[in-house]
Amino acid sequence: MSATTAEHTHDLQHEAHSHVPPYHVQLKSNRMGLWLFFISEIFLFGALFAARFYLWYVPGVGQTRPELSQELGLLATTVLLVSSYFVFRGETAMEHGDRSRFLNSYMMAALLGLVFFVAVVVMEWNVFGLEGSIAGIELFGHLGVDDGVYAGVFYAMTGMHALHVITGVMLLLFVWNRGRKGDYSPERHWGVEGCALYWHYVDVVWVFFYPALYLIGTAVH
Amino acid sequence: MEKNADWKKAAQRLGMYVFIGLMVLTLIEYAVSIYLNSTVGLFITMLLKSALIVYYFMHVYRLWREDSH
Repeated sequence: MSATTAEHTHDLQHEAHSHVPPYHVQLKSNRMGLWLFFISEIFLFGALFAARFYLWYVPGVGQTRPELSQELGLLATTVLLVSSYFVFRGETAMEHGDRSRFLNSYMMAALLGLVFFVAVVVMEWNVFGLEGSIAGIELFGHLGVDDGVYAGVFYAMTGMHALHVITGVMLLLFVWNRGRKGDYSPERHWGVEGCALYWHYVDVVWVFFYPALYLIGTAVH
Repeated sequence: MEKNADWKKAAQRLGMYVFIGLMVLTLIEYAVSIYLNSTVGLFITMLLKSALIVYYFMHVYRLWREDSH
């Protein structure tokens, strides 16, 4: 009998003799709780999203947006989508008992999350005031804190999202470490599932933020 | 054991198809912005992408399911 199966059997025996709800009941509650948290977060991100359309609307011109690096936006979006795929891959692997693929996938997703964070905060925000380009593509953003309402909305939206990305990266690494120690099994891996849900949620938020920041409206200099 | 391997392969394949769908929609979104500048078109791609993620990656249907993982 493997260690995880033995733990699983022990847990089942413990549940049978205690007032702890059965695992499938806990799982259902956990899922519902996390989704309620997501709904509460929709109000936060939804307010930022709505503010963008209100504040970047110019009468006579319509919707506007700041001049941002299109290539950098597309690259960051692609990186986040790839990381979401790796999280899905890792969760599916754990569901089928493939621990090594789960570990590789979650580590890859965490690294891609860091790449996204660097692309937005270091390159697009340009916190170090760097200059540089490759094949005519600007690598660092030019939006400054003195760019009025464009900077205010841009930093609020990307900053709040980046905060969730860095939280997600920490969560991925935490779950990866627990997975490395053998804390999850195909029968019991709420930690893996919950972390995957959170990461995909962060991805969904960016699905709305990316066009709102980079694509919708006329670019103004 | 073999059945489990088949299920795993099918699930991984589904994930890959969803990812490819998301990438294609992202490129369509980019093209819509450059060539059409259509806000409605961009909202449609946003909704399609989020629906794909919520259904296939976040498994929203599990909320109404009684069984475990």
